[in-house]
Amino acid sequence: MKNKNFIFLIIFVLVIITIAEMIGFQSIPVGSISIGLLPLVFAIVITMILGLQLFRKGFWKNVYSKANIDFAGKYLIFIMLPLMARYGADVAPQIREILQVGWVFLFQEIGNLGTVLFGLPIAILLGLRREAIGATLGIGREGELAYISEKYTLNSSEGRGVLSLYIIGTLFGTIFFSILAPVLLGVGFPVEALAMASGVGSGSMMSAASASLVAQVPDMESTILAYASASQLLTSFLGTFTMVFLAAPLQKFMYKFMVRGDA
Amino acid sequence: MANMLTNKYIKYGLILLLSVSLIVFTQEIKHLKNPDSMPVTPMTFIGLSSLWLFSMIGIGISDVLQKSPVKFVREFPVLGWVSITSLVLCLLSDFFITAIQAVDFLSITTPILTFAGISVANRLVDLRKTSWKIAIVAMFVFTGTYLGSTLIASLGLYLAGN
Repeated sequence: MKNKNFIFLIIFVLVIITIAEMIGFQSIPVGSISIGLLPLVFAIVITMILGLQLFRKGFWKNVYSKANIDFAGKYLIFIMLPLMARYGADVAPQIREILQVGWVFLFQEIGNLGTVLFGLPIAILLGLRREAIGATLGIGREGELAYISEKYTLNSSEGRGVLSLYIIGTLFGTIFFSILAPVLLGVGFPVEALAMASGVGSGSMMSAASASLVAQVPDMESTILAYASASQLLTSFLGTFTMVFLAAPLQKFMYKFMVRGDA
Repeated sequence: MANMLTNKYIKYGLILLLSVSLIVFTQEIKHLKNPDSMPVTPMTFIGLSSLWLFSMIGIGISDVLQKSPVKFVREFPVLGWVSITSLVLCLLSDFFITAIQAVDFLSITTPILTFAGISVANRLVDLRKTSWKIAIVAMFVFTGTYLGSTLIASLGLYLAGN
């Protein structure tokens, strides 16, 4: 390892983890429901704020050196692998139960069309046109990025749309889902359904959603994690097919219908 | 060539070692803060070793399948292969399940998000390239997929009698 600042990165990570864990789980009441903020939310918020250019002076430049940021970006996937391995152990004991309601798992995959159904009308109302195609096809992860860049290139309006969504998702996706999941739980949806829905196709967003559900209903931890990871695995198998054969045609149809006359 | 390959796997092995070490650190800190949370036991270390091993196997599978003629197989994410490897091995032996469940779940997530936060440091400026309109759309897109799946899952589980 030629990166002389690497040691600062490790110390920094240990300090951040300690701070985040010492803040611990915080429950913030909003009206009649409460939003639980997990240490993971504090960890990402603190590291993002300290990473702002205006803080990167003097010693801080060693921590947020180019090599360190690149390391975090390049190997984030590998840092995540033990989590993915953990999900196998969560699914295994409940595999029978999961297969019994397997058809529900399959059907809820169709719910991923919600990106088009909810997102596209809003995008059109806001005056977006071809960018909306890229921004609402899915949650804007690698799958959508690949599909859109293959079909329209990333320099097109569609490409800019999906790229923007990718950036926003990367920055705020986990925070958003760790708040959305408990809010929907507070609204009254069953925790099993919310767990199943957590497999949205992004490992970190799924973890954020399922972790905040676990924090709210700790007794259901094993079921929540099993359902969330089984559905995540299913999404990684079926996601591409849902996108190409369902989301894209639906989007095309709705788009034509909504922009007719003013395009 | 063989040497390069070994070096690559040593590197992956070390990064995974870093990852599991941070997990045990987090679990210890969590336990200090809240004595009711899961303590670090010898079983935790066996669990972490299993997680490390399954991750390595998953990486290996993903690497080997890069030569597959099927595009879908080549592009299937390594994250997926690791979950599948772990699922299969956990179905074969309950011991892995017991060991891995001695690793506190939430302690796995904090280090990951710490790295995630650092990794986006240089992308914050990219926000300027996006518009507030897309930010609003993003909220509806994320809510849409989650709510859509939740609605169908609620209905499905209700019909299934759960």
